[in-house]
Amino acid sequence: MLEVHDVSFSYDNEKLILDSVNLQVRRGEIAMITGPTGSGKSTLALVLAGFIPRVIEGAFTGSFLIDGKNVEKDLISEIARKVALVQQDPESQISTLLVCDEVAFGPENYSVAPSDIEKRVEVALNAVGSSHLANRPTYALSGGEKQRVTIASMLAGKPDFLLLDEPSASLDPKGIQQLQKVLLGFKNNGYGILCIEHRLATILSIADRVLRLSKGRISKWSGKTSSIMTTPVEHFRRPDSAEPLLVAKGVSYCYGTISAVRDVALSVYPGEIVALMGDNGSGKSTLINLLAGLLHSTDGTTYLDGVPSIEMTAQEVAARVAVVFQNPNHQIFERTVQREQHLVFDVLDSLGKIPSERPDEVLLAAGLAELKERNPFSLSHGQKRRLNVSSVTVHEPLVYLFDEPFIGQDEVGRNFITQTIRKRSESGGAAILVTHDSAVATNLCSRIIFMERGSVLLDGPPKIVLNRLGEMGYGEYSVLGVMS
Amino acid sequence: MLHRLNPSLKLAGLIIITTGILIYPSWRFSGLLLLLTILGFKISNVPLDVSKRRIRFLVAFSALLFAFQVLMTANGTILFFIIPKYDSMGPFLPVTDFGVEKGFGMSLRFLLVVFSSMLFVSVTDPTLLAHSFTRFRIPYRYSFALVIALRFLPLFDMENKTVRMAQRSRGISISVRGMSRILRTIRYTFFPLLISALSRVDALSLSMDGRGFGYSKTRTYFRKSSWTALDSAALVLLLALLLTSILLTLGFLPQISAII
Repeated sequence: MLEVHDVSFSYDNEKLILDSVNLQVRRGEIAMITGPTGSGKSTLALVLAGFIPRVIEGAFTGSFLIDGKNVEKDLISEIARKVALVQQDPESQISTLLVCDEVAFGPENYSVAPSDIEKRVEVALNAVGSSHLANRPTYALSGGEKQRVTIASMLAGKPDFLLLDEPSASLDPKGIQQLQKVLLGFKNNGYGILCIEHRLATILSIADRVLRLSKGRISKWSGKTSSIMTTPVEHFRRPDSAEPLLVAKGVSYCYGTISAVRDVALSVYPGEIVALMGDNGSGKSTLINLLAGLLHSTDGTTYLDGVPSIEMTAQEVAARVAVVFQNPNHQIFERTVQREQHLVFDVLDSLGKIPSERPDEVLLAAGLAELKERNPFSLSHGQKRRLNVSSVTVHEPLVYLFDEPFIGQDEVGRNFITQTIRKRSESGGAAILVTHDSAVATNLCSRIIFMERGSVLLDGPPKIVLNRLGEMGYGEYSVLGVMS
Repeated sequence: MLHRLNPSLKLAGLIIITTGILIYPSWRFSGLLLLLTILGFKISNVPLDVSKRRIRFLVAFSALLFAFQVLMTANGTILFFIIPKYDSMGPFLPVTDFGVEKGFGMSLRFLLVVFSSMLFVSVTDPTLLAHSFTRFRIPYRYSFALVIALRFLPLFDMENKTVRMAQRSRGISISVRGMSRILRTIRYTFFPLLISALSRVDALSLSMDGRGFGYSKTRTYFRKSSWTALDSAALVLLLALLLTSILLTLGFLPQISAII
């Protein structure tokens, strides 16, 4: 059994992240910890894996026992033999060039004989259903494959306990189902599993026990769930005379020999909020970049406000679209939050009509006004996201294109982003969101475009599309996501 | 076939070849080694696609080096003039035998270094190369740096493309008007990429520590190359090559230096 007694921890000796936490994880069970973003769940995972206080500094009190023995004096490499932590982002955990090398990495470090390593690699890859990936280079894996390889590489060390931090973060609904199967298999083989998830629905069905961590304190989960939005949007009626804001005609794009987007044609009209959905690898992000005029299609044309995007300069593009990418770090350019917010004024000349107080007003609405002088890279993930949204929508361009804006967002962030999107659509603009979340699609969007392997499979009102998806074998999309 | 050789040996081979032609820069010597390198491509089944842009660029560049050297060298026996005599003007731009020799020397040296490096990269598995360094008492902590750097390169390349797109979406374009503008745009690429790379450091080190990296001074290897008799033979040949180039430079082998 893995236990922590009365554990309290603070990184800076001021703010208490964990407050007298008691927790046990037994072999052969799946325990789940849920709670709002930023509540200390990842910190708790680091404690249970032994990284706090051995590798990560801070004020730590309390005891940590494995199978009844206090492991205070053990080194991290000794604890790692018993407890394995799979972190949130698989990309940052892979350290070698081939999948088989990655899975063999753990046993190699413990000087296991090469013939035994071979067996362990086989068993571990089998357990996650990825034996066919053994000789694949690690850069050529999809997000879901990367995650399974990461789990396999942790398994190869033959730990007793497996901790997973937000395992569903990089997965599409199909990937989540596969993950559930894999975890159940582990449980039946006697592993003690702890999942940390703020998206309840993903693991709830297979969890034996659910606990809630909020403001550093742990408690039993009350069973209450809150859905993200409660007012479904009315059926959208497009004014007949409206010109489309965004048009794509026969648009295709290839990465080398791989065709990411095939012959897509669509139009987006004023007032629409579109959910762009599909499995990982179906071309959603590529399509967003093409529609925003950031990528030039190998075939076909995209028109922004009637002008072919290929003829536009960067400034013309920025004046018409607001794009938010998946990784907030990729789109922060200035030294302070304030300057980041004002960047659009430095860059675009045609903004005479925007009052100079606008940027600061939007910053206030985003809840970032007190952080004006901070370096934007030092903000939390959720805060960076909000800054991304506030800095690109300051001048209210025609079309908002957001790639997975709600991932890792707390309620404040979700509300701000939702309001921003709604405001734009109500005032004659449009928004396109890439999302996996059917609840978002139903409650916020007026239209779903579902992609499969680079082409548009379905395009229509949310309820109708989701029903059709259920009939076409994409039943996993009909399960509404719920938050804790 | 070259795939089977020990990776450290292949690295030694590359270094010896490059050093050899620096020590004895005869164009015939470089030409001979270049032929051997191209032979190496053939016997290892590595395609040397002459139609590929990269190869054509390299050959064109080496021709440029040749021309440059010929034009800059005016001493030696004059073979002909590029601009012939016209009335009382000229002739200009002499082409001498010495210039032609130096020209070949430079261009063949260039081609040899580039192609032997390309061959090395094609027949060597970088992971096996890193692992083979432990044979020379280099701690695995350092050789792993090579593997990790290679593992993250494609990712940084992709992130670079994303940051460029993000810049375009914010209206930032790489402008060439003025130094301060260029510096600003470099900063707009450098900082996001640097922060993104640094943000991975914590997760990566936890992942590696969490799998026991550093548990003991030694570790085993799932895939490791061995040193065979073939490698010893190849090493002997390479050392002989190095020795030959040294002796040729010092003038100890007049019969051979007359040919090469």
